[in-house]
Amino acid sequence: MSAAGHALSLQGIGKRYGDFVAVRDASLEVASGEFLTLLGPSGSGKTTILMMVAGFVEPTAGRILLDGRDITDLPPERREFGMVFQGYALFPHMTVAENVSFPLRVRKLGRAERDTKVRAALDLVQLGRFADRKPSQLSGGQQQRVALARALVFDPALLLLDEPLSALDKKLRAELQEELKALHRRVGRTFINVTHDQEEALSLSDRIAILNHGNLVQVGTPEALYERPATRFVADFLGKSNFIEGDAVVDAGGITLRRGGARVLARGTADGPAVLSLRPEKIVLLPDGAAEDNVVGGRIASWSYLGTGYGLVVETPDLGPIRVHLPAWRAAVAPAEGLPVRLGFSRDAAVAVLEDAA
Amino acid sequence: MGGYRPGWLNGAVAWITVIYLILPITIILPVSLTDQRFLSLPYHELSAQHYVRLLTTPAWTNAILQSAWIATASTLLAVVLGTLCAIGCWRLSRRSTDLVRALMLLPIIIPSIAYAIGLYRYFAGLGLLDSFLGVVLAHGVTGMPYVVITVSTALAAFDPRLESAARGMGASLLQTLRWVILPRIMPGVVSGAIFAFIHSWDELVVVLFIASRRVFTLPRKIWDGINENLDPAMAAVAVLLVGMTVLLLLLDLTLRRRRED
Repeated sequence: MSAAGHALSLQGIGKRYGDFVAVRDASLEVASGEFLTLLGPSGSGKTTILMMVAGFVEPTAGRILLDGRDITDLPPERREFGMVFQGYALFPHMTVAENVSFPLRVRKLGRAERDTKVRAALDLVQLGRFADRKPSQLSGGQQQRVALARALVFDPALLLLDEPLSALDKKLRAELQEELKALHRRVGRTFINVTHDQEEALSLSDRIAILNHGNLVQVGTPEALYERPATRFVADFLGKSNFIEGDAVVDAGGITLRRGGARVLARGTADGPAVLSLRPEKIVLLPDGAAEDNVVGGRIASWSYLGTGYGLVVETPDLGPIRVHLPAWRAAVAPAEGLPVRLGFSRDAAVAVLEDAA
Repeated sequence: MGGYRPGWLNGAVAWITVIYLILPITIILPVSLTDQRFLSLPYHELSAQHYVRLLTTPAWTNAILQSAWIATASTLLAVVLGTLCAIGCWRLSRRSTDLVRALMLLPIIIPSIAYAIGLYRYFAGLGLLDSFLGVVLAHGVTGMPYVVITVSTALAAFDPRLESAARGMGASLLQTLRWVILPRIMPGVVSGAIFAFIHSWDELVVVLFIASRRVFTLPRKIWDGINENLDPAMAAVAVLLVGMTVLLLLLDLTLRRRRED
């Protein structure tokens, strides 16, 4: 497992089933060795894109290129991609070693070479001891690692992962996220991952492609997507967000949004009706006399303790209800319903986003 | 599963039904052990003489062997064709394949006498009458529905992602079939084979039509025997037939149970 990864290029691919459009005109470049995640709610078309890359679904439009070579019409068995299926799809009648050895057997490798590679792949996922077990005798996390070993054993050009962690409980999921990330660094291949779990996408990926209703909405690094969401959907799906609607006027530092009598300084580039996205954790409770780019008064309408902090809903006369997340250990005051507070946030915290096309 | 115990009437009806089903079969056992030289219950003592005669008379042993050969060959035919048909229908899975599957059941649905007449007409033209091959073909075709049914049932429980996984890892259709699909549906194939074998093993109507002097299966030999003389050896053959069938059904049952564990 030394060869470098391969680059994939999707050029305007689409898939329609009769009148239903599953994926619309998606173009995407995946660099060699990159970990890219397709993120979206169910029915957003992310799995369809993965299946088109794998070759199980035939696109009705566009081309798919691997290192510049057109592979659109290649059947799945000739694409040389490793894949981890949802639910893993391990062969129940084979042992772990036989499962991992399957892609090598298919390629008619000799027994000695097969055994060496299988052992290396199982060691890679720390499952050497379980070689002779049946998949049903393994835990969910172990099965997932067998699926990984099986997908990587034949040095595939790409590794495709279809919701690889969704069948696991939360704690195990976090653990395997770490492992998956470490594995990606070790093998240095191109990974394409599909998930609906935004935390998984944020922590694993070099870049994330966000999908909604079959449209590729935004592609970028996790930081870029979180800090500068392009649309209301992205801001809402990736993390939590308040939305403030009003009329924007471009000023020296960005835009000023007018809403009723209130003004909000924000990042943005265009005049006219606008929506601001404001992350709850970027808002602070200001002590008396302290200043900030934006200050708004209100009363706590409700609050809850979340362990890592307090979740507040503050009813403001100017901007309506605003959700605020405060780190518990730094909270200056104990929250109480009806308590008057002053909220403050910098210009950088509020960013203008586009309304999603219907 | 609590519930009320059935009333005496229900119980009585159930038992009468069971006896009605089993009695004709159980009567042949004592008859086969008769010490007399004609078809009757034992008179003075139990005797195995008819079994001995059965296994030492060339006419009977020939019939047993012929039946076994025909059943084996026709089972092979039915299993190969039936399994391929079921897999094909499953893979394509369109409305037309449902029709194909329904058509495959015709040999069981159509009265076998109608089938036999049809076969008689065709086989006469093809020179297959009274030939080993002819009977094997006839039994193979009429045994196929059992295989199609059991294999289709097994395929319904097969996870299609396993096939995608195999293809995704570079396996050709044939490799996927051999290493992934067949091992998973083997219990269905074996069940179908057992039923196809039983079907051929005790099939009489078609054989009566298309065989004359050379092909003598066991059921046909019994039929002829009963028309010519009331030899108790026939009861012994019948016990053999039933025994073989019960054995195969028990085998099927154990294989299924083992799979469920």
